[in-house]
Amino acid sequence: MSGNTSTRRSNPAVEIALVIIMLIVIIPILWALLLAFLPNRAITSRSWDFPFWMGNFRAIFADGAFTAQLINSAGLVIGTVVLCLVIGALSGYALAKLSPPRWLTLPALVLAGIIPLIPPATLVPGLYVLLNNIGLLGTVPGLIIVNTLFNLPFAVLLMSSYFAALPDELRESALMDGAHELRAFWLVMLPLVRPGLAATGVFVGIMAWNEFLMGLTLTSGGVTAPVTVGIAGFLQQYAVTWGELAAAGSVAAVPMILLAIFANRQIVSGLTAGAVKG
Amino acid sequence: MTAAVGTAVAAPPPVRSSKSGPRGGPGWAAIALAPFVLFCLAVGAYPFARVLQMALTEVGITGTGFHFTWTGLSNLQTVLADAAAWQALGNTVVFIIGSVAGSLIAGLGAALLVDRAVMLLPLARNVMIWPAVIAPVVVSLIWLLILSPTAGGWNKVLATLGLPEQNWLNTGLGAMTSVIVVDIWHWSPVVFLFIYTALKGIGDEILEAARVDGASEGAILRRIVLPLLLPAIGTVALVRVVMGVKVFDEMYLLTSGGPNGATTMVSQRIQLWFFQDLQYGNAAAFSFVVIALTVALLVVAVLARRVRRAA
Repeated sequence: MSGNTSTRRSNPAVEIALVIIMLIVIIPILWALLLAFLPNRAITSRSWDFPFWMGNFRAIFADGAFTAQLINSAGLVIGTVVLCLVIGALSGYALAKLSPPRWLTLPALVLAGIIPLIPPATLVPGLYVLLNNIGLLGTVPGLIIVNTLFNLPFAVLLMSSYFAALPDELRESALMDGAHELRAFWLVMLPLVRPGLAATGVFVGIMAWNEFLMGLTLTSGGVTAPVTVGIAGFLQQYAVTWGELAAAGSVAAVPMILLAIFANRQIVSGLTAGAVKG
Repeated sequence: MTAAVGTAVAAPPPVRSSKSGPRGGPGWAAIALAPFVLFCLAVGAYPFARVLQMALTEVGITGTGFHFTWTGLSNLQTVLADAAAWQALGNTVVFIIGSVAGSLIAGLGAALLVDRAVMLLPLARNVMIWPAVIAPVVVSLIWLLILSPTAGGWNKVLATLGLPEQNWLNTGLGAMTSVIVVDIWHWSPVVFLFIYTALKGIGDEILEAARVDGASEGAILRRIVLPLLLPAIGTVALVRVVMGVKVFDEMYLLTSGGPNGATTMVSQRIQLWFFQDLQYGNAAAFSFVVIALTVALLVVAVLARRVRRAA
């Protein structure tokens, strides 16, 4: 409803209200960032002295556990994104452009509809037994499998919507020219949905980096845990070191906020994927 | 954040027929779709069956792993007789009502404002989604650094102003309110995006016509814009309800489900029974209660929508 922006005048009340909303968004984040650079006594005192201090970061990286957790989370993100993109692109392509037999399409759509609706916590007991049986309990590959389960329906449907937007003639003429079905997919169709791969990858990556419940319940903590669980661990100890908590939280949150700034369009299309077609 | 944001409401992609083309055909289609179906069945259906098995048995752990003794519905009876289960269900209902209503109002307000903005439009559109990309557990921590009675920034403000300090996280009502406010801060961006996208889809001609006819801005909003936004609002409300059922991380650091279970939601109840009390049967039986209630809720929502469309 704001088509011709050029003709519209700026309304001061609207702009001021937006400044207030943006402050509500930004101040809590900045506050945590500020505390990350403060010693504990400055945080718990009621004064407004802010002595700059790097000790929190030295402390959280001192014993190597937090570094190990960051590496675990990086591995979890890479594994989940790769798996979701490979299966998501293949199966999304099948749904949008090929005509799979009905006995396969129906279960695919039912699974894609049901998995996002089931609260993940209800599957924890079963996933615990599954990973225990295949020897992946407490490992990054185990977490990759579980995270892929919860993100794959989204990846398949989002990729399928990008493929569906391509004209059928592209694939057909490639096949006419004698290209193999695989070549038509790999050389003609897949390069055209690069924006879809980016949106899916960014979104699934954020989900995997932020995941907490599975990391908490399916690892034994410490060096086997992802970074979100590591952060929570800083609170469980007897004397709460607020500055270290803030520092660890900042290390996890800042990369995501940078993504939100620079990959805004991909994140928005991921967040609203359902709305456009729903 | 949950992947349900996107998929919970995604319409099934168009499955058009007779598209197999000159070569290939259904063989390739089946091969390409199979990985998804097989993966979900292997990783999803097996745990689901195991949860069902645990719900109906008494689970013991020996050196060789889990072993199960059939007990029928007794786990379910135990769970339904347990006040903790009802407390978690009640808390979740309160939480969903508060956080869904709150984020709908905040997100709608933000979308209407951003739509009218000129100068701050590009900046606001970017900043507005930041909370949604931060890990829920970090959001929990960010707000703990503000609301904590001992180290929180809010008490620093109150002390500076000479006001009595707050202790909200240690009172039942205060803790629940805090958790709801934090959830609104965290997820209003999703509501904002859904509604802002829908707002962009409303044609200028309709609004111009109304203005030419002399309608006030308030009347245009109430009579034209809001009715046109209703489908988007309904969709995002459903997405937010599903997110509310799943919520776990956000209260983990902020309240740890306390005080006295006042902010323990269904997901945490399952986790506590399974990992803290080692009552596997109860955890699994309660999982089924939650799944059944979620499915019932969604069926009602879909039916209500169909009735409204038919009317």
